[in-house]
Amino acid sequence: MLTKLSNSKFLIPAMVALIILAAGTGFYISLKQSQNQLVQNNELRGLFWPNPKQIKNFSAKDHNGNAFELSNISGKWSFIFFGYTNCPDICPITMSVMANVYQHLANYYENIQIIFVTVDPERDTTEKLSSYISFFDQDFVGLSGEPTIENSLTRQIGIPYYYNMKKENNNYLVDHSASIFVIDPKTRLIAKLSPPHQPEKIIEQFKNIKRFIDEKD
Amino acid sequence: MKKINGLIFIFIIFLNASIVLAEDISGIDISHLWISEAPPTVSVLVAYVTLKNNTTKTASLVSVSSPLFSSIEIHRSIVKDEVASMERHLSLTIPAKSTIKLLPGDYHLMLFNPKTPLEIGDKPTLTFTFSNGVKILVKAQVKKRKYRKH
Repeated sequence: MLTKLSNSKFLIPAMVALIILAAGTGFYISLKQSQNQLVQNNELRGLFWPNPKQIKNFSAKDHNGNAFELSNISGKWSFIFFGYTNCPDICPITMSVMANVYQHLANYYENIQIIFVTVDPERDTTEKLSSYISFFDQDFVGLSGEPTIENSLTRQIGIPYYYNMKKENNNYLVDHSASIFVIDPKTRLIAKLSPPHQPEKIIEQFKNIKRFIDEKD
Repeated sequence: MKKINGLIFIFIIFLNASIVLAEDISGIDISHLWISEAPPTVSVLVAYVTLKNNTTKTASLVSVSSPLFSSIEIHRSIVKDEVASMERHLSLTIPAKSTIKLLPGDYHLMLFNPKTPLEIGDKPTLTFTFSNGVKILVKAQVKKRKYRKH
């Protein structure tokens, strides 16, 4: 058989074809592997791992005037967004996206919580915040006066915010972080989700983060 | 009967001519003007709009006003290094034969201190003033934002 083949005029083309096929398969496998790695890295983008910050106790007031402390985030997955009610464009866009994310995730998980922290406590009173929060979703939590308290989430997470044109009039603007932060049920600051925000992207990112944490713990 | 038909014909011709004339005066189409529904207690609302300049000259929007608001400003949202901020623009240039769209997360109109809260279905009128003195009155629609619950 071998001698027959070696004599055959097809031997060289057959060997060439075999080499091309082998090289092609190898290339395809390595491409697939690198694609998988890339997908995995993308899915877990924004994760603070292996050293997530442990959130310390704090005592804030929620939009109903009730105490809101570390125990209120313990055992839950919390999504935290910082903004102010006089921000008419970026903040309601993010709040609407989070309302959509919440409606979806609440169908599957019981311990999801969306928290809005105002970086404009002077104008955003408890009453104002209460109406703002419930407009997007009755289950959302709003924290007013939070940035100024000891061990505030704003300080612990390290949120940048600064007033713009404040001296000129009462229509001043506040520049602030546009990211969404995720705290896990063990109250560890686990991830930062970067803008632009889309519900599908956040849901997918959350599921991957949760799967990763569930496997690690 | 023939006379009446003739009159109607002349009337239609006249009507068409006047519509064309009205368009020619400004040469700017303002469409898709909508205000996002917001919680009743907020002091600043937002409007988005499409501005089309049909002329061969650059147009410049210099002010937007309405008796319903204490003031209206042109702003642009900017997210840089994950920090959101807004910059105010004193005018908005619409190049000749082009369209500018004010959309969520980008250029928008800030409507300060509404006299009364606006609800879905309300149609307040805004006045757009251009640098050549042309004023255009447009009715806005109050609508829900994308991703909002129905």
